[in-house]
Parts: sequence; C-alpha cells; structure tokens
Amino acid sequence: MATRVNPKLIDDLEQYGAEDVSKCYHCGNCSAACPFSQGSRIFPRKSMRHLQLGLEKRLEGDLEPWLCYYCGECSDECPREAEPGETMMSLRRWLTSRYDFTGISRLFYRSWKAELAAVLLVALLTAIGFLLLGFLGGDIRIYDGPGAFLPSHVVHWFDWAMAGVLVILLSINCVRMWWFTLGREGRESGTHVPLREYIARAYLLPFHFITQARYSRCERKRPWLVHLVLMLSYLTMLVLIMFFLESMQSGPEIDWRVHAFGYAAAVGLVATTAYAMWGRAKRAEAQYRHSHESDWIFLILLFVVAGTGVLQHILHRADLEVAANIAYVVHLMGVVPMLVLEVPFSKWAHLAYRPLAMYFAELQLRAVPSRAPAETARPAATS
Amino acid sequence: MNVAVYLCQENPDAGGGVNLDSVAKYAANLTEVTQVRSLGVRPKLLPESLAVEIGQQSFDRLVIAGDTPGYFKPAFTRAMLLAGRDPGEVRLASFRQHGAISLDETERAKAIVACAVSGVPFWLAAVPKFTTVHADTLVIGGGVAGMQAALEIADAGKHVYLVERTGTIGGHMAMFDKTFPTLDCAACILTPKMVAVAQHEMIDLLTLSEVEAVAGVPGDYRVTIRRQPRRVDQDACVTCGDCAAACPVTVPSEFDCGIASRTSIYMPFPQAVPNTYLVDEASCRYVLSEGTKCGVCARKCPKECIDLDEVVERAEVEVGSIVLATGYDVYDAALIERYGYGVYPNVLTALEFERLTNASGPTGGRIVTQTLQHDKRAKADVWVFDPAGEAPRSVAIVHCVGSRDHNHNSYCSRVCCMYSLKFAHLVKEKLPDAECYEFYIDMRAFGKGYEEFAERIKQEGTFVVRGRSAKVTGADGRLLVRGEDILSETLLEFPVDMVLLAVGLVPAHGSDLLATLLGVDSDSDGWFSELDYNGDPTDTERGGVFVAGACQGPKDIPDTVAQASAAAAGVLKSIASGRGYGSLSGLVLSDIEARARELAGKGV
Ligand SMILES: Cc1cc2nc3c(=O)[nH]c(=O)nc-3n(C[C@H](O)[C@H](O)[C@H](O)COP(=O)(O)OP(=O)(O)OC[C@H]3O[C@@H](n4cnc5c(N)ncnc54)[C@H](O)[C@@H]3O)c2cc1C
Ligand code: SF4
Ligand code: SF4
Repeated sequence: MATRVNPKLIDDLEQYGAEDVSKCYHCGNCSAACPFSQGSRIFPRKSMRHLQLGLEKRLEGDLEPWLCYYCGECSDECPREAEPGETMMSLRRWLTSRYDFTGISRLFYRSWKAELAAVLLVALLTAIGFLLLGFLGGDIRIYDGPGAFLPSHVVHWFDWAMAGVLVILLSINCVRMWWFTLGREGRESGTHVPLREYIARAYLLPFHFITQARYSRCERKRPWLVHLVLMLSYLTMLVLIMFFLESMQSGPEIDWRVHAFGYAAAVGLVATTAYAMWGRAKRAEAQYRHSHESDWIFLILLFVVAGTGVLQHILHRADLEVAANIAYVVHLMGVVPMLVLEVPFSKWAHLAYRPLAMYFAELQLRAVPSRAPAETARPAATS
Repeated sequence: MNVAVYLCQENPDAGGGVNLDSVAKYAANLTEVTQVRSLGVRPKLLPESLAVEIGQQSFDRLVIAGDTPGYFKPAFTRAMLLAGRDPGEVRLASFRQHGAISLDETERAKAIVACAVSGVPFWLAAVPKFTTVHADTLVIGGGVAGMQAALEIADAGKHVYLVERTGTIGGHMAMFDKTFPTLDCAACILTPKMVAVAQHEMIDLLTLSEVEAVAGVPGDYRVTIRRQPRRVDQDACVTCGDCAAACPVTVPSEFDCGIASRTSIYMPFPQAVPNTYLVDEASCRYVLSEGTKCGVCARKCPKECIDLDEVVERAEVEVGSIVLATGYDVYDAALIERYGYGVYPNVLTALEFERLTNASGPTGGRIVTQTLQHDKRAKADVWVFDPAGEAPRSVAIVHCVGSRDHNHNSYCSRVCCMYSLKFAHLVKEKLPDAECYEFYIDMRAFGKGYEEFAERIKQEGTFVVRGRSAKVTGADGRLLVRGEDILSETLLEFPVDMVLLAVGLVPAHGSDLLATLLGVDSDSDGWFSELDYNGDPTDTERGGVFVAGACQGPKDIPDTVAQASAAAAGVLKSIASGRGYGSLSGLVLSDIEARARELAGKGV
C-alpha cells in the first residue's frame, strides 16, 4: 500500500522549531558527519527527506531522532544551512507530542503561552493548597518537627501520589511509543521481536539511562559532561526526596550521607542549569544556537526549583524559619508544575524516551518474520 | 491615474543594496502615487487580506517594487481580481533586472519605480544619450571569449587591441585535451584561432599586459596599459630552447597547474601565442639579484635576443569600445579541508587532471598516480607525476566542490557536472579496468546534447553515486572517500587511488579592480553584471563597455563563444552607425521621470 503524505507536515514542524528543512538538497554530508549514523541507521538526512515529503507515519515510527544528541556536527557541515541538527531536535519535540495521548504536549509545543499559563496555574494551585495545609495544620514559624508548617511526612505522601500519577501518564506514552516504533512497524512489515530478546536486552534501559554512554561518542565532550552532571544531580535529588525526605529535613542532625549527596546534587543542578541558560543566551555552542520557547520555560523552571531548594535550606540553617517556609512554598510551586507538566508533556519526557529508543533500536535489529507468508513458501509454478 | 506602490524584497541578504527608505519617500512624492507600503523581506502575502486592503483604497494601478518583485506578483494579481480591479494593472519595478543593486544605484531604483508608476517600460524611458564612437576597440582577456570577440571585430575590418595578462593567449581552453559534449580535441578548435589572432593585421596583441587606468567618456576612452617586460625579443626568438636548457631555476608550471615544472625562462606551452620564450621575473635569479647573478640564458641564446634588463613600459591607446573577457579562476580546493587537497598527493583539482590527461601534458596523457622520487637539487623526496608511474585502479570524482554551498559559493558553477562526466569518460577510455565513481547531488546536463552525453557516460560503466561525498581520508596508502548514497540510504566508503575535485568557478583575480577602473557593476559573487538580465546580456552599466564569456558568470565554451560574438556585434553596431550609447548612470533621474510621463501621455 502506498504511503499517505501530509504536505502540511513541514509547516507544522516549523512550530516545533524546524524552520529550514526545505533548504536541504540531499547531499548526505550531514549523515556522513554524524558520529551516530551507522549501519542501517543513517540520519539525519533521511529525516529531512521524510519531512519534505510529509511522511508522517514513517516519522512517527522513527527512533532516529532519539539517537541524535545534537552535537551539531551535521549543521556545521551542511552546505545549505538547512540545520539538520535543529530539525532532529524539533522532531523530538514533535514525537513527544505524538506519543502523548492527551494532546497537552502538542498544545504546549505549539503555544508557549498555553504552556506558561498552565505552569502558572498549577503553581498557583500548589501555593493555595500548601498554604491552606500550612495555616490549617501548622505554624509558619516552625520549619520542621512537630507543628511544622509543611510537615515532611505530608509532603512525602504528596510526592508519592504525584509520582504515581506521573508514572501512569508516562507509561501510557511509552506504550504508545512502543506501538509506533515496534508494534505497528512490525505488524506492517510482518515481523516481531521475540520476548526473550526483550528480556535479554532489558539491561540496556538502566545502562543508557545512567551512563548516557552513547552521548560521549560526540567529538566535543563537554555537552555530554554537562548533561551527565545535570542528570546525575537530578537523579540523586529524586532519590533523596522520594526516599529520604524526612531525614533530609530533620534539622541540625541530618545524616551526613544525605547531607553530602544533597549538597553535591544541589551544586550540580544549579551550575548546569545556569550554564545551559548562559549558553542559550549567548548561543555559545551548536546545541544552544536555536532555542524553542519550551526550552526556556523548562530551564527557568528548573533553575527556580534548584535555587529555591537551596535557599530554603540556607534560610532554615540560618534559623529564619518563616522565610524558609515561604521559600519552601515557592520551591513547591516550581516542583509541582515541573513534575506534572514538564515530565509527561514536555522536554523532560526524554528521560524515558531516549533510553527506551536505544533499547527499541537494539530490538528492531532482532526482529524476526512473524510467519512465513503462504504465497512465497510455495515455489511459483513455472511451465 | 492613482497608483499604489508596494515595496517587497526577495533576497534576505540584500543588505547594502539600494536605500529602500529613500525610494519609498521618493515614490510617495510622485503626483500619481496615493499610497506607499513597505512590506519588508519575503512578506507572507495573503491575497484575501490584500484584497480587503485594496478595496479600501482608490487606485487604478498597483506597482510592486523590489529586487525581484516577480515573486510577489501572483498574490497581488489575485488580490486585484478579488477586489474587482484590473489585474493587468499590476506593474513590476524590478531593481535587479535593470541593474539597481548597490546603494549607489538608489537613484536608478527610483527611476525604475517612476517608470512603473507611469506604466512605461524602463528601457524605453531610460535611453542613454548617444555618443560618437571611436572605431578602435580594446578587448581585455585573451581566452576563447576575448579571441572570438577580437576576431569577429577584426574580420569586419576594425582595429582591435587585445590585452592579455599572461604570456600567451588561449585562456583555460588551451589547457584541455577534449571538450564536452562532443569530445572534440580542444586544441584543434583553439590553435587555429590563436594563430589567426597572432597573424591578423587588424589585431594588436599585447600579452603580459594589464589595464592600469581608464580615462575619457563612452565612445572615446583613453586607456593606459602596463606592459610587463618579456625580456625576449618576440620577433627574433626562434624557440630553439637553448636558454631554458641552461636556466638553473625550476618552479611549478602555471600552465600545467603545478603538476610539472618549468624553468625561469620558458614558453608556457609549445603552441603558445606569441610563440616565444619569456622570463618570469618572480623567479629569475638575474632579476631577483638586480643583475648581479646568473644571466646564463642571455649568454646562451644564439640569436642574442634576450635582454634581461628590459623594463616595464606603458602604452596608451584610444578606443571607442571595450570588451571585458577576463574569464574565471577555479575555487581554491585547499579551503575545503575535508577533501584533503594539499594533504594527500593524489587528490587533484579538475584543472590539474586536465593537464594530467592531456596528450601534450607532463605524462603525455597517461593517467598515473604520483610517485615519491628523490629530487637531487632539493635534496628531498618529492611527489611527482612520472609517465612511468602507476595507473590508479579506481578514481573518484567529487562534484560541486566549492559550489552550491553556503560555506563557500552558493551558486552553481554550471560546467563542472559536464566536465566531470568528461573525466569519467577519459578515465574509462584510457584505463578500461579502472573503476570510476561520480559523486553528485544533482546532474546539471542542460545544454544541447548534454543529457545524451551524460547517459552515454553512465553506460560506459561509471558508477554514479547520488550524494556528495563528505570526506576524503588516507588509509593504507590509498584514499577513502566517505559519503551517503542517498538513493539506497547507506553510508558508503570507497577505497580509491585518486580523487578528482570538481572545483567551481570564481571571477578571475583582479576583476574587482577592473570593475572599479571601468565603472561597471559586479554582482555579490564578483561576476560582471550585464545591463539587463534578459534584454541586454552583453552591455553593461557603462556605455561602450561590453561583457563576454565566463567573466559575466560561469559558462561553457559554446555559451562563451556565442556571447563573445554577440558582444562583437554590439561593438560593430556602434562603430557602423557611428553612435553608441552613453552610460546609463549618466542619466539624471528627473530626465527619466519626465520622459516616462511624456511617453505615458502619448499612450505608450
Ligand atoms: C576543468 C574544466 C574543464 C572544462 N571543460 C570544458 C569543456 O570540456 N567544454 C566546455 O564547453 N567548457 C569547459 N570548461 C569551461 C571553459 O573553460 C570556459 O567556458 C571557457 O574557458 C571560458 O572562456 P573565457 O575566455 O571566458 O575565460 P578564460 O578561459 O578564463 O580566459 C580568460 C583570459 O583572460 C585573461 N585575464 C584574466 N584577467 C585579466 C586581466 N585583468 N587583464 C588581462 N587579461 C586577463 C586570463 O589570463 C585568460 O587568458 C571547463 C572548465 C574547467 C574548469
Ligand atoms: S548536509 Fe544539509 S543539505 Fe546535505 S543532506 Fe544534510 S541537511 Fe540536507
Ligand atoms: S555544475 Fe554540477 S558540479 Fe558544478 S556546481 Fe553545478 S551541480 Fe555542482
């Protein structure tokens, strides 16, 4: 069956940041320059072509955008200034909106005003909720212990509830991703991946998640390092918050281990987000040359969260309990929209999609024919 | 009649172009104009909303003004229709077509707008004043274009000065073995022309010469020509070559593109015209030491025709017309690092290969790879093309080197696809067992017989790979060409022994200076601008100055020769009628405006 084309796709992608796709004349320089373009996965030129043609379904099933880390070599080599690197970035945004079944992601990417409004609304609701909680059950002059304004066990409980919702949303999106890339693609090509391969390769998921080993293959190592530090800091913070929140907030007698990790992660987060913001403002490196509005919203949010997190800790340490409590509320006003909006619907979803894509990419190589097609099994009659 | 003027620019990089604000102000002051709108660069035009806007105004004619307003015409035509106006009253004021490109040409742009507002073609209203024309002509550049123009004019009985800056005429074509698409022998076409030029009584050939100053007015120019000393008496030299045999200096030969060497006193090639030796002062030991060293050639010459102390001379000529035919240079391949030119000895430019494969070239036309040989004089190992060297087992030809590339030149050089195919043919002809790969993006085979030529080459067994190769690296003494074959979507690596870079064309060095001296325009890439893209392809801005050949933009030999003949026709027309056009820039804006009104009044 012939593939349907969507001639409007290229215009649609413009709203996700890809503005120069039509300039590409398919010399293939970018694919040859890309350190990740190998074997049967030759990109980004192919994606440029699919976009120019409007092969929506093909693009939906592509894993390539997730295999690109935007080192920018392709854009540097492109003779047409078609910005293949930025196109891959835009495709990741577009794919995120495709995987998302709610349509919220699509709305956010296409209208930064909507995204900002949603972030502000959630922040406002968070503020109201926690202020009510605080004033009804506690005392604003107390930061921790009995009578605390925001008792840590309540916040902890809230964290887990939020994490639950989040995991559900993200999981649904991940399943959709699986369907587009392995399920549907396989059905159409008459292949499937045996279950044992799914199991045997499962280690790839945590491996890529933690090490980001592929990223380090770029010629310039700094982006990988910055990204790794950011991700590890984030992960550390997440573990501390999800499992050790109570001991983290326990006042002067914080466990030294929690302390050390907490400080390291806080420094990592603040430093890397500040670096990324500086880079984007200056357009310092290839991956920072183009910024979509969603990149800014995301970075600012992260910076606010990290900054207020540190601030509340300092204020608490300085015995300025009222101020610490206020900083805490502001902190939560950042955390909640970041987690409920950014993770499932925006840039942060890539923390799941990227490792998944590498896992799926391995699996695709191990696909086997579903069943021998009846017609070709029999030798054709010749007379 | 009420007129609305819309300003729209097409080229986003046209900064430094005409002053649009000034044009807008001027347009607003024209009596017919009721409104002027500036829409900026590449505006997104919606006919529906334009129609609403038009509906609110009362005008009968709409002028779109800008560098290339034709791009925007459809939207305005549709809008006029929707608004119930006459779509035939959408007029274009095209700055580019009429040569208003730079800031200095803002007045011209205004005149173009004035004509469009009056509904009169620019060329009808802007007629330069006639001048009387001196019957002698100066042709600058002795390539195939300059020779053709000179011969056409001289054959018509008019006197021509042909100025060539190197020691011989012939230009690039003299370096070629065969020409596409007919595979004719280049020398068989060119040599008779060169000889005809040398022998023509109506042609004064000035080699080693350059234009230094231009005075006077259209139709009556006084040109100062700087003549570099040849240091060999042209008439006495019998080309015995004793001088060169004695010369102790060797340097790379320009004519052989550096793949072979010559002595300091030399003849560019055996068929050079004038057919005499000359001394290269940049390397001559005698000249460099100001007469204290060497001088052996002068002593060896049996005819005593070498005068190493000859000095620069200047000649002043009076001419009515000047033909620019300065041709092109090739793009410097070393600027594109990824192809390894200058790093790997067997990565060659197209011109180098032309010499290598030429039967009268350093290897007698044998296609060989370079071999490392010991140079006794330099006391070092050097790479040389030895006729006994090894033939390449496979050759890769890379298209669009320096062309169609925003990091280098964004234009298409027009001839490289075809000469690359010619190369493939030559490789296959001489080395039937060698593999030959062509890496291309688009195959530009637009001329008569070109497509057929391309098809034929493919059938000769050349592998045509769609996708420009991205990188050349060295591996085990061979070369590795890496690139994507976009048709099969695979990344490929080809081990080859020789890589030929199809370098693009750039204006000849020194063209910018010439443009300033003569007061002609050149475009943003440096090619001389013709007066009117469609209507006057050989005239220029400056009255009495014509363009011919590749100096006006990349072109092949047939187009070059055709344009040269056309330029000659323009020259002869002005001589025969005794009057030529003055410079367009000599016209005053108010005159053009008045004439446009007058013509409009007559209902033109
Ligand atoms: C590798 C290669 C292969 C080609 N093969 C073919 C082919 O097979 N068939 C074909 O049709 N076309 C071919 N072409 C194109 C062909 O070379 C041109 O069409 C043709 O040479 C243009 O002629 P021209 O006289 O305009 O310029 P040129 O040949 O460049 O001649 C210009 C002359 O002007 C002189 N000059 C420059 N500046 C000055 C100055 N300031 N003062 C005085 N003199 C000056 C130069 O020294 C030169 O002699 C090829 C081009 C290349 C690069
Ligand atoms: S390098 Fe640029 S023009 Fe070439 S294929 Fe890639 S995106 Fe297209
Ligand atoms: S003629 Fe062919 S090789 Fe030359 S620039 Fe144009 S497309 Fe490229």
